[in-house]
Amino acid sequence: MRHFWHWLLWLWIALAIAGAFLYAPLAKDFIGQSSRILFFHVPMAWGSFVAFMTAGVWSLLYLGKRQLDHDRAAQAAVEVGLLFCVLATVTGAMWARVMWGAWWNWDPRQTSIAFVLVFYAAYLVLRGAIEDPDLRARLAAAYAVFGLVVAPFLFFVLPRMATFTLHPDAVVNTRGKVDVDARMLQVLLVSALGFNVFFFWLHRLRWRLLRLEARRAAEGLTMMTEAQP
Amino acid sequence: MISGGIVWVLAVNLVIWTGLFLYLLRLESQVRQLENES
Repeated sequence: MRHFWHWLLWLWIALAIAGAFLYAPLAKDFIGQSSRILFFHVPMAWGSFVAFMTAGVWSLLYLGKRQLDHDRAAQAAVEVGLLFCVLATVTGAMWARVMWGAWWNWDPRQTSIAFVLVFYAAYLVLRGAIEDPDLRARLAAAYAVFGLVVAPFLFFVLPRMATFTLHPDAVVNTRGKVDVDARMLQVLLVSALGFNVFFFWLHRLRWRLLRLEARRAAEGLTMMTEAQP
Repeated sequence: MISGGIVWVLAVNLVIWTGLFLYLLRLESQVRQLENES
């Protein structure tokens, strides 16, 4: 069966969604049902981090081998990663509206994710500003490799440096321990795995589309050259 | 006790996920077709 793995992913994420609403208990000290959004918010944030690391690794490969296909893989990872990051930000803001009474509070974690968004949006702006494919790939790769340091700092270090935050403890808290209800953790891990696999599916699709675009552009260029007298 | 509201939200989430999934499956087939053509 051609789409077996895709349908398995559909089932896996459907189970994660069902688990988030029917199996996981509500978190203590959270208003109403608001803790259920964490089963989507946290995997989206983790997924975006994996995406940005993937972009960095493909960029390193590009710098080593100078193959434009590796550059396209990095671009696809950043694009899908930004989508995940926007979704993490939006779901976080929805939760903040319920718990803190405002969509945006400049809490350390909100501030650091805003920096992440700007940093990787700038990657796409950089790409859009350079026409020469080799120069574009080289500069974008250097930028994404720099992201291998910037993203871990913004995701894990900066929020923990703050002396005060309203944000709940991360799954692995500041004391290095996992202090989450067992059933909540099960659903969270199932959801995180599902959405990370989903990221790699989206990444591969976008990468293939970029490859097709490049091939079409090259064919168009060849046709134009041949048509010239 | 599971409230009716939660079941509705769950159903909406599943419908959105299934719709997105079917769209991506279709996109996957179209991309494969274009790859075979070129």
